[in-house]
Amino acid sequence: MIEVALTLPLAATTLVVDVALPHGVTAVMGPSGAGKTSLLEAMAGLRPRARGRLIVNGEVLLDDARGVRLPPERRRVGYVPQDAQLFPHLSVRRNVLFGARVPRGRLDGLLEVLGLTRLLERHPATLSGGERQRVALARALATDPRLLLLDEPLAGLDVALRERVLPYLLRLRAEWDVPTLYVTHQLGEAIVLAERVLVLESGRVARQEPPLALLAAEVPEADAVRDLENFLPGRVRSHDVDGGVTRVAVDGGGEMTVPLARERAPGAAVTLVVRAEDVLVAVDAPRGISARNVFAADVVACARAGSDVTLRCRLVDATSAVLVRLTPSAVGMLEIHEGRRVWLAMKSHSIRMT
Amino acid sequence: MPTSEDLGIVLLTLRVAGVATALLLVPGVLAGFGLARYRGPGRGALETLLSLPLVLPPTAIGIVLLEALSPRRAPGAWLAARGLELVFTWKGAVLAAMVMAFPLLVRSARTAFEEVEPRLVGIARTLGCSPVEAFRRVTLPLARRGILAGVVLAFSRALGEFGATIMVAGSIPGRTRTLALAIFQQHQVGRDAEAFRLVGITVLLAFGALWVAEWVGRRGERVR
Repeated sequence: MIEVALTLPLAATTLVVDVALPHGVTAVMGPSGAGKTSLLEAMAGLRPRARGRLIVNGEVLLDDARGVRLPPERRRVGYVPQDAQLFPHLSVRRNVLFGARVPRGRLDGLLEVLGLTRLLERHPATLSGGERQRVALARALATDPRLLLLDEPLAGLDVALRERVLPYLLRLRAEWDVPTLYVTHQLGEAIVLAERVLVLESGRVARQEPPLALLAAEVPEADAVRDLENFLPGRVRSHDVDGGVTRVAVDGGGEMTVPLARERAPGAAVTLVVRAEDVLVAVDAPRGISARNVFAADVVACARAGSDVTLRCRLVDATSAVLVRLTPSAVGMLEIHEGRRVWLAMKSHSIRMT
Repeated sequence: MPTSEDLGIVLLTLRVAGVATALLLVPGVLAGFGLARYRGPGRGALETLLSLPLVLPPTAIGIVLLEALSPRRAPGAWLAARGLELVFTWKGAVLAAMVMAFPLLVRSARTAFEEVEPRLVGIARTLGCSPVEAFRRVTLPLARRGILAGVVLAFSRALGEFGATIMVAGSIPGRTRTLALAIFQQHQVGRDAEAFRLVGITVLLAFGALWVAEWVGRRGERVR
């Protein structure tokens, strides 16, 4: 549980936030200048003019009423700014180790999950944007933070890079379970990553709700939900050369079949990407269907957004959630509603493996 | 060929410039850092005061120092009470060189610190550094090149100091007569050949100092 009650004068307005955030990932959205970055910096202790209270899992980091004001170095808050801000005079290794507090084994695991093992001797100037973000993330996580603050970690990355960094975030989310505030402009990202969305508008919390509710609340900016995709991390299980398919064990449980990709060795960590509109929905268990991937799932949320309906489904016997985009007419015809059991079908060829 | 007298002059000059630069290093770097970060009132006045030795004639600085060091004045009395004799000694030459070289080091260091991204310091703090640690581990290494350039400038200035030195330390052969003073002295008595020999030595010294600075800078590059 994170309790944030902060006021901070900004250039044009005053940031006033008073929310309690349960565990998990909270996406912070809102127009530029709404105070998103200022909120993160205030929580990290980098804005001396911030007043109020900040309590993370019972640890008081700031409470002006009681005269408690921990300096940044004692807050144990991991902050990853939008432009990474790596130390240019240090190698990747020394950047990551700068404030490292986690035991050796966990650090190695972190470097592996973030794909940094081969970059350790490089210097920040020689890294790509995505690599920098991953190093900054590792540097923050290596301090074993109580709270993680990410400022648009995927902004400024092209689509290919985003598809490589987002899976790392998903994996971290699953493996590290650090309460996280995540600034983004993309509702799609928020839907994939976050339990709830905090919408800031000129310094105030305009809304706080699950990302799908936000999708339903208004016609979102087309840009924010364009290319709504599912990201399922997993590991290659086996190749079936005659059948022309590769089988992948999904981290959340279950197995998926994708077109043969022999260049990925069994055991390799991969991410499966499926567009929300490429998932078929049936209300009865389908038989005699060509799609290789059919899963039973329960509809946990159902929201109209613009001209489409977006479903969030939880796979039965697995922890993965899958987003599906349908037309309202299909939803009406199949009588789909929250709580309904459905079957999701995905053609092997609609799944990309990265 | 350089004589043993020349060697004595060179050693004295190196000692004066070396000691002056070494003594300046810490206060110069700290003053540069202070000027780079301080945003309060009096900043402009402080900067002007620190730059004064750059714009005033060195002899003006020299006579002010001489007056301050007289036993009738507080600083002179304080130093005398501690047995520190500065006037007409090599230590006086060190003081004169320090005063003249200080602004050069401070200005270089200030520029170097101003170029360090302040947000990096904030990041270092969130990673567990106290302000002092953040200065040592991030600010200082990033400003290193500029500071080094300032040190070279300050050393060169100290090497060639003339006006303030002759006022405070005089030009006593074997005691306070540095290269710059010796060249003047030889010329005054009409021994231009001797003067030019000393000029040659000075050129070599200057090249040596620049070469050492370059080497130290390169070595630092490789370490980081």
